[in-house]
Amino acid sequence: MKLRRVSVRAAAIVIALGVFSVSSVWAHHSFAAYEPSKQIKLSGVVTEFKWTNPHVYLQIDAQESTGGETKRWLIECASTSILNRAGWRFNLVKTGDKITVIVAPLRNGEPAALLKQMILPDGTKYGNGAAAGSATIQ
Amino acid sequence: MVIRATLVTLLALGAAASTLLAQRTPVVRGINGSWEAYPLRGEGFGSGVPPKTPVAAPQPLPEPPLKQPHLDQWRATQARNAELTRKGLPPPSTGMACIPEGMPGMMQVTFPMEILETPGQITIIQEAFTQVRRIYLDAPPIAPQDAEPRFSGHSTGTWEGDTLVVQTVGVKETVHFRNTPHSMNMRITERMRLLNDEIMQNQVTIDDPEYLTKPWTWTWMYKRWPGYKIQEYVCEDNRYFEDPSLKYQRLRVN
Repeated sequence: MKLRRVSVRAAAIVIALGVFSVSSVWAHHSFAAYEPSKQIKLSGVVTEFKWTNPHVYLQIDAQESTGGETKRWLIECASTSILNRAGWRFNLVKTGDKITVIVAPLRNGEPAALLKQMILPDGTKYGNGAAAGSATIQ
Repeated sequence: MVIRATLVTLLALGAAASTLLAQRTPVVRGINGSWEAYPLRGEGFGSGVPPKTPVAAPQPLPEPPLKQPHLDQWRATQARNAELTRKGLPPPSTGMACIPEGMPGMMQVTFPMEILETPGQITIIQEAFTQVRRIYLDAPPIAPQDAEPRFSGHSTGTWEGDTLVVQTVGVKETVHFRNTPHSMNMRITERMRLLNDEIMQNQVTIDDPEYLTKPWTWTWMYKRWPGYKIQEYVCEDNRYFEDPSLKYQRLRVN
């Protein structure tokens, strides 16, 4: 019975993705500029947390988990209401905080990326809403 | 003189009777409150709480039955946009400039909406862009040529039994739902009805003989979201802009 309920829900989600994954979901803009399959992990310090619409942005001075130089990255998040519904708050992070993010970088090589997951120093993880997709690496 | 006095008395009685009648007519028909799109989207987009009685999902929206040459132009635009998106170059959109969806796009409920039932009026607030529509109940219909062009148009409604029938005219010609052009004579008819306590159906029909060969119709569904409080959404800074030479959306990184 429980399994059935789960599968009904899964079916509904699959249908929803099918119906809504077309351009109209993202009335503000699409996420197509980001690498669809590549994900990287960045760790660093928050230089700005902009709690704005249509999208929230994190700016971090961060280094990739594979090494390399520290760069200033712009991390795109969902809208404020989507993040609130996903458990975020306007004061969840502040300038100077150390954070780790799993992101999909821009295809054109500029230091900007779409957030998939944010990990705070205590290990708490925050997603970025269904349309942004979830982390596929750890 | 006597006739005039009688007429005035009759009119006064009539007005009093209609006021009494209006007071007896229930204001709230049970669609008050917050709603999200159904099927559910979850993960920050919605409640993720399935309804007690799942209802079959609506069919995807059909292609608009545009007249030629609009249909060919529409198909070409869709194909070009899909190709750009595939290459990672998202096509420009009105959202880049923080322009709201307007009607009927705001009723697809990408973000939750709130419905307020008050005497003589139903107000719909769409969270995205804080869009508001006011539906005046049992009000005289508005002729399209008299309607000031607006994003949400001008709406009048009537309850036909358990169905709220809403007519909307006066949607700005620049508001292109799904890239579909329309004239100032476009009329949107919505038939909203509760299928059960939790699910509401909205049958949408677009009539526009100047652009369409036949009415364009589809169904949207909403699920009640008890206790959800609509949030503020002011589109203040979209970091996407149109690349001037290549005509696609780019992100302002620095």
